[in-house]
Amino acid sequence: MADLRIDLAGIKSPNPFWLASAPPTNSGYQVQRAFEAGWGGAVWKTLGDPILNVSSRFAAVSFNGQRVAGFNNIELITDRPLEVNLQEIYETKKRFPHHAIIASLMVEPKQEKWHEIVKRVEDVGVDGLELNFGCPHGMAERGMGSASGQVPELVEKQTYWVKEAAKTPVIVKLTPNITDITATAEAATRGGADAVSMINTINSLAGVDLDTWNTVPHVAGKGAHGGYCGPAVKPIALNMVAECARNPLINVPISGIGGISNWQDAAEFILMGATGVQVCTAAMHHGFSIVEDMIDGLNNYLDDKGIASVMDLVGRSVSRYSNWGDLDLNYKIVAEINNDVCINCNKCHIACEDTSHQCIDLYSEDGRPMLKVREEDCVGCNLCSIVCPVDGAITMVERKSSIPPMTWNERQTLISSLSK
Amino acid sequence: MSEHQQSTEEIKKVDHYLDSGFKIKYVYENLSGMFVEFARQEEVVLLQILTADARKYFSAKLQEQTLLQ
Repeated sequence: MADLRIDLAGIKSPNPFWLASAPPTNSGYQVQRAFEAGWGGAVWKTLGDPILNVSSRFAAVSFNGQRVAGFNNIELITDRPLEVNLQEIYETKKRFPHHAIIASLMVEPKQEKWHEIVKRVEDVGVDGLELNFGCPHGMAERGMGSASGQVPELVEKQTYWVKEAAKTPVIVKLTPNITDITATAEAATRGGADAVSMINTINSLAGVDLDTWNTVPHVAGKGAHGGYCGPAVKPIALNMVAECARNPLINVPISGIGGISNWQDAAEFILMGATGVQVCTAAMHHGFSIVEDMIDGLNNYLDDKGIASVMDLVGRSVSRYSNWGDLDLNYKIVAEINNDVCINCNKCHIACEDTSHQCIDLYSEDGRPMLKVREEDCVGCNLCSIVCPVDGAITMVERKSSIPPMTWNERQTLISSLSK
Repeated sequence: MSEHQQSTEEIKKVDHYLDSGFKIKYVYENLSGMFVEFARQEEVVLLQILTADARKYFSAKLQEQTLLQ
């Protein structure tokens, strides 16, 4: 039985699975039910001046039969008075003293506003604070959320103001709606952040109704951009976590967020540098009980790997994430087709012939249709194995190169020494 | 000619010059590929290398020459 406890910048929780600040953490009733189900922590739905919401609020993108491949929302922060939330936080913390409760906060970018809310929230016993510099809709139009989070100077300044008043660890939650998230992560670090979390949601419009021409969702025939999350955003989030994890100027723990739906997703984020993960869409889709499989799965994985503590898994893949210019140009893999398993759907041939390097030949052997890869023309792009519907029919295999390893950067240095 | 055949031809030419005592003197690249000047005493020949595999191969040969110098 592996030790799943984590310590993220001083915030301790019984496991790395936290609910993200979102509808699932709107109230004490919900958070207490989540803790009963097994979640290790919860980032309370963002506190600030109570807002007014609209109806409707959510939309989902389904793809080829998979419901909620992506999820879009135009809901804002809490619409409940601060006192109500604080009372419920106090009661929840009292009932679950060993679970992590982090208060997500959003106020106008003014020093006194931050000082006031930090003091009031910490007085009820939260374990940490998460500054919401990421919400992309509604609040951003009022100068908060991602409007703050897209400006490194504002991230640094507001983090600094919070740190002036805070006694608990401060996590800065970053928006992905920016060209380079490491710029704002560095700013948060300069401002004194104890940790960063990412990603918040991505600007999105889920769709347009082809009959009514309304946006999806719409509010009385009008729409506005929302925030996109769910499984579709995981690769974007994972890259952003990894980019921050390998940046030496961002030397604080990371809380990973973005499309995490199961223990495998969580393990990937942890391997890429996240100390813990936050989940929202998967819980909204399937309920709080999904955490049971997450805990079991991660525990079994760690046991299988012979790793005693999940903290020992953190960042183990970061050094394997590099710049393109540092990849070996001479590393070679090729596709290998197992005709005993192949069902001759020819998707690999079509994909290669139409959109890649035309190296999969169709031929017949004793009247049986066969496929063969011309290795000398295969560039190892993986496309055939990606489109193949049968496990084990196409394997990408390594071929020893006749020339030694050389990266693009090494090559350019070499060539520049003999350039005119 | 397939790209593989073309790169094989280009690699043969690189090997031919190097095996004949030529040294790589200048290298430059532009939109048309890589241009290499091989020199042997006063004799200079220009080789244009088009294919990616041959340009990789040439880079390895340039590294060999650099290490031997």
